[in-house]
Amino acid sequence: MDKMIHVENLTKEFKSYSSRSGLKGAFRDLLTRNYKIHRAVDSISLDVKPGEMIGYIGENGAGKSTTIKMLTGILTPTDGTVTINGMNPHKEREKFVKTIGVVFGQRSQLWWDIAVQESFRLLKKVYNVSDEDYNEHMSMVIEALDIAPLLDKPVRKLSLGQRMRCELAAALIHNPPLLFLDEPTIGLDVLVKLKIREFLKELNERYNTTIMLTTHDLSDIEALCERVVMLDEGKIIYDGALNQLKTSWGEGKQIEFHFKAAKSREELNAATGKQLVVWEPGENANTWTANVTNDEDIISQVIGDVVSNHQILDLKILETSTEEIIRNIYEEGVIHG
Amino acid sequence: MRYISIFMQYVGQYMKTRLTYRSDMVVELLSDLLFQAVNLIFILVVFGHTKLLSGWSKDEIIFIYGFFLVPFAFFSTFFNIWDFNERYIVKGELDRILTRPIHSLFQVILERMELESMFGIITGLVVMFYAGSNLGLTIEWYDPILFILFVLGGALVYAGIFISLATVSFWSDSRTAIMPMMYNIGNFGRYPVDIYHQVIRYVLTWILPFAFVGVYPAAFFLDKTEWYGYAFLTPFMGILFFGLSIFLWNVGVTKYRGAGS
Repeated sequence: MDKMIHVENLTKEFKSYSSRSGLKGAFRDLLTRNYKIHRAVDSISLDVKPGEMIGYIGENGAGKSTTIKMLTGILTPTDGTVTINGMNPHKEREKFVKTIGVVFGQRSQLWWDIAVQESFRLLKKVYNVSDEDYNEHMSMVIEALDIAPLLDKPVRKLSLGQRMRCELAAALIHNPPLLFLDEPTIGLDVLVKLKIREFLKELNERYNTTIMLTTHDLSDIEALCERVVMLDEGKIIYDGALNQLKTSWGEGKQIEFHFKAAKSREELNAATGKQLVVWEPGENANTWTANVTNDEDIISQVIGDVVSNHQILDLKILETSTEEIIRNIYEEGVIHG
Repeated sequence: MRYISIFMQYVGQYMKTRLTYRSDMVVELLSDLLFQAVNLIFILVVFGHTKLLSGWSKDEIIFIYGFFLVPFAFFSTFFNIWDFNERYIVKGELDRILTRPIHSLFQVILERMELESMFGIITGLVVMFYAGSNLGLTIEWYDPILFILFVLGGALVYAGIFISLATVSFWSDSRTAIMPMMYNIGNFGRYPVDIYHQVIRYVLTWILPFAFVGVYPAAFFLDKTEWYGYAFLTPFMGILFFGLSIFLWNVGVTKYRGAGS
């Protein structure tokens, strides 16, 4: 089997009614309702190979969670087909969910009142995991996530970071070949984030686990995923390698100069010429940013022209960050190139 | 069977949490007992004014009440999912349920069970034996078997009605006052149905068959031969209504819309 996830023209529509304003409108609503059909996910197609780590990104309300919920069998698609592990998630739900692990960052899998290890025991029973498999696999998970000291504490006494690590372990009790993570690092501090990322990498290397991750924190994706799928208003607007996204969008470079004295745009244009450079005033006094194309010759030439004509205190070359790239994409709405 | 061993695990965990909140459990038991005592006093007060109610004596009605408590105890232990809409639909807890490889209704039942309601069985038996000895009832060899069958049937009728009502939430997630209303209608089944108007009798028998939880099966043990037919229908009504509610549930789950985020 060469495909872990195969999605074709997946669509989910929600029917909601829009209420009219005022008391009179409320009475009219009683009799006739204005239904509005909202397409949360609009015919997306996607293929994922085993062992891939995929970042699924999009703004709030772009349809990320709805997609994940359809892929995990929680919601029934309005249209389109989903085949995961050779199964239809919704039709064979109980058999299917044995092969996946799910972590919802904002929802707990664990029982609030009982100790973490008791939750694990219940889940072990629910997933019908044998003692040998459990011991072998979970000892690695518990060690890697460093949760051994937390096991006998009730979940309600754990901090968010501790709880999240336990949640992740709980989702892996049956060692699923496919893991869905919906905003797993939301609200966590840097150290816990790093630990979780390292763990996911290790898991992927060791068991070849396929991981699909939604997040608002792009550093998660930069650290883990080679492939990103970007969603906007229910449609996939980009599906491909992360570094390609960077080269096709972050094609420009910025050179930030900190001058000794105040400069005007005319002075700077006189030094470099207008064809290659667009000058923009920086945030601080006496700083200017030159936007240039990503080409060594041009960069060297611009720097040379500037420093030979003006005295500078500092100089920085900036690459466009992923975050900026994505912001640009959302502002323009389409992918070019 | 796998479901039974999962059930035992949940029961074990349930006991553990309950034992950590000891005072909670005592308060709950006391309020349950108080609730049952108030109902009994109500019956006694009514019979302080009349000797017979449509041909039923005080002890007979107390016996019916005692019988009713037993299936009701089973119902409140396992199927008391009156907060299903708020907890699982509005808050989206059903997402979690649906990512686990057990039937979703079974999981909801396991999570919402309240084992201490089982004490209602003891109260019910005590009330029945008290009323039964006043009436001079005798126990035949088949009575315990039929008793168990009727109790299970009655509990399934109750469960079927409330599960069907809970499934309404899959289609509409607005809050309704239907659950408390049902509790009140459910109480109608504790009294002989022939004291009610024809229409109410029909409803309590065939539409919301609460009469099968109390009066019909209890009439069998009171040797009221005119009700025997209804009494023996009890297990079948239970299976029918419970089966219907499972069907509604399975359809409903496919309509689940999930909560935000």
